Amino acid sequence: MVLVSGIGYSNLGDMSFGRVLLSTLVEMDWPAHVHVEDLNFGPIMIYQTLEASPVKYDKVVLVAAAKRERQPGTLEVYRWNGILPEDAEIQARIEEAITGVIDLDNLLIVCKHFGVLPDDVTIVEVEPQTEEWGLEFSPVVAAKVNEAINAVRDQALAM
Amino acid sequence: MCFKNLPIEFDAQGNAQLVGGVANPYAYTPREIKRDKLEELLARNGHIKDVSISPVTRVAGALSFHAVADLEKRKFLEANSVATIFRGYEVILKGRDPRDAIYISSRACGVCGGVHSTAACEAIEMAFGISPPPLGTVLRNIALSLDFLYDHPLHLFLLAGPDYSQVVVQATSPAMWEKAQVTDAPNAEIHQFKTIGDIMKGLNPLSGKLYLDGLKMTRTPREAYSVLFGKYPHPQTVVPGGMSSTVTITDFNETYTRLQKMIDWTKRMILLWDDLTEFFYDYNPEYKKVGARDMNMIDLGMWDDENSYDATYARCNDWGEARWATPGVVIDGKLVTTKLQQINLGLEEFVEHSYYENWSQNGVRFKTDPSGAPLSPNHPWNKETMPKPSKESWKDRYTWSTAPRWDRQVVEAGAYARIWTTAAAGKMPKNRFLESTGHSLKINMPKTMLPEMDFEWKIPEVWNAFERNRARAYCMGYNLMVAYSMVLKAFDYLRKGEDKVSTKFETPKGERIGVGFWGAGRGYLSHHLTLDKGVITNYQIVTPSTFNASPHDPFGNPGPYEEAVMNTPIIEDYSKPEEFTGVDMLRAIRSFDPCMPCTTHIYGGEREIVREVNTCACSAEG
Repeated sequence: MVLVSGIGYSNLGDMSFGRVLLSTLVEMDWPAHVHVEDLNFGPIMIYQTLEASPVKYDKVVLVAAAKRERQPGTLEVYRWNGILPEDAEIQARIEEAITGVIDLDNLLIVCKHFGVLPDDVTIVEVEPQTEEWGLEFSPVVAAKVNEAINAVRDQALAM
Repeated sequence: MCFKNLPIEFDAQGNAQLVGGVANPYAYTPREIKRDKLEELLARNGHIKDVSISPVTRVAGALSFHAVADLEKRKFLEANSVATIFRGYEVILKGRDPRDAIYISSRACGVCGGVHSTAACEAIEMAFGISPPPLGTVLRNIALSLDFLYDHPLHLFLLAGPDYSQVVVQATSPAMWEKAQVTDAPNAEIHQFKTIGDIMKGLNPLSGKLYLDGLKMTRTPREAYSVLFGKYPHPQTVVPGGMSSTVTITDFNETYTRLQKMIDWTKRMILLWDDLTEFFYDYNPEYKKVGARDMNMIDLGMWDDENSYDATYARCNDWGEARWATPGVVIDGKLVTTKLQQINLGLEEFVEHSYYENWSQNGVRFKTDPSGAPLSPNHPWNKETMPKPSKESWKDRYTWSTAPRWDRQVVEAGAYARIWTTAAAGKMPKNRFLESTGHSLKINMPKTMLPEMDFEWKIPEVWNAFERNRARAYCMGYNLMVAYSMVLKAFDYLRKGEDKVSTKFETPKGERIGVGFWGAGRGYLSHHLTLDKGVITNYQIVTPSTFNASPHDPFGNPGPYEEAVMNTPIIEDYSKPEEFTGVDMLRAIRSFDPCMPCTTHIYGGEREIVREVNTCACSAEG
């Protein structure tokens, strides 16, 4: 079973990359073993939902924008190493998550800490150029939309 | 007579008017903050330290705090509370359809969006002249108790709780930790933690049983909330005139089942906070001064009586006093009013130490409220949000929070204010589970696995960080039994076939004015609204943390966090300044359950990640 989602706030320019792509992903035809879900809630809710779910996923594919000091518009596809930070940092992420912060790193750390993520977590990630309010992507990020959707599809179907 | 500073008096019929013969009744001369002596002390003495905590962790959103501590005399000499970001909801809402306020203002908070939606709805209802059918009001009451059943455990076990955990106590007061391990917990038979040390271990972050159970317990009320409101935390089903949910007996059964699941846990939790509080007091009575301040607080009440609430300003005193949480202002420990109109008339916001321009050059839009009573130029119906970013200065401007005051006095808001005003007023509607006695609130909790139990929250003799947390624990029982009672009411309405939850309306085109008098998990919440030609002409939000995180006012009074820190003795163990952790100060601040605007700065490895995030903004100025 594969879980696919796009993570991010809406109306936040390039930072909404995952959220915007999710609306396309959810409309695509997928085999029965691939579930596309909206995970744009505080990660505590995500971990509790996954924990209670009768479906146990073998793989998770997430698409999002993340600021990692790369060239804006850089698209990376990588398998998350699953290494957790120190306890104090995990605690800080839980505090953010419980008060409603939607964020890729928080989701990964909180869900991993509580043991609800499979080993196989693949991230399709774009480096944003802008983080301003708005509905539009910057040109360099907009140019990566199709490539990112294809990457998500390839990763989700690669089991 | 409830006012002692504002020039308002009441005639024999209770109508408010300005005191005669005062030329400029609301005028004042701002008092300057003087720091010369303090700066000299800081320069001269090694033991006097600037303490800046940015951000204060384990609060909702971002709060910075600056203090000057005398580590030799173990006291604080100065305190400044800093809200670090402007988000502009009040500006965004201008010119919009009033119904947008329900959904936009909800986004001010990632924990309690529904309370903003509801406050917006009540403001719109007053302006439109509509009100919900009985089941619509009952439904709101259920949902807005469930919201707090999420909020309070979150604070008690994940945000404030770690301040009393083994890891913190052992590090900052090793002797107390030794004592805790051999002190039996008086209520161990119920809560199952044999010693106070066991409770402290349970509060350890990430691994403690209480921490993990508290986290787990946040799921149950959220599930019930989603059943009734559609989703959490930003419901789409709160509408002017009621709710747009279609509710059936099944929905209320599902809610009832989840409330049952919370009853025993709540019984244990109340007794556990009782035990912890009494242990600290016994160990060192100085702890009674941590977070202490005058017993001055404010609350607008909430959970309307479905047969009284008609959304009119003219009858707000009546439907306000019929609420399941009674509105009120407490000054020096005495309840001075329970009337919503008087609470409203006493409200002013000041910006002398905030990053805003004063709006007085635009004139006074409303000299009176809708009933003809005098309104201050500084009242939210007259205030305008005019941001003016400037350099941080402890003498001048240092925060994005305004300084709301009631009758020009510093009041704090919180769940504890809600239980206090309700207990003191003795006006709670007669019901099976809750009784307000005039000095306490009695809570009867039914049998589940544990037997039926009676609790009584008594108005405390001292007011401090520990009493705030203890009161919040009792509020869990209070909220739970409000929700429980409302579900029983809902069953009755459905049985009678009264299943209507909303009232039709049309947006009026003329000038209208309204206010939503409501409450958040953290207490007081008001939305003041003016409309014309069908759009919002002004919108002002005052939240609990706007009161609590407020800076100094123009009369020279510090805000509640600031005052609470100034009154806090430094009790923690240290032999040299580098060992000072500020835990007593943090206990004081966190006891208010701060809820701040949200820019979070996190140091991650070798790079600083600066993230603007959208979580709780309950003190956001607009």
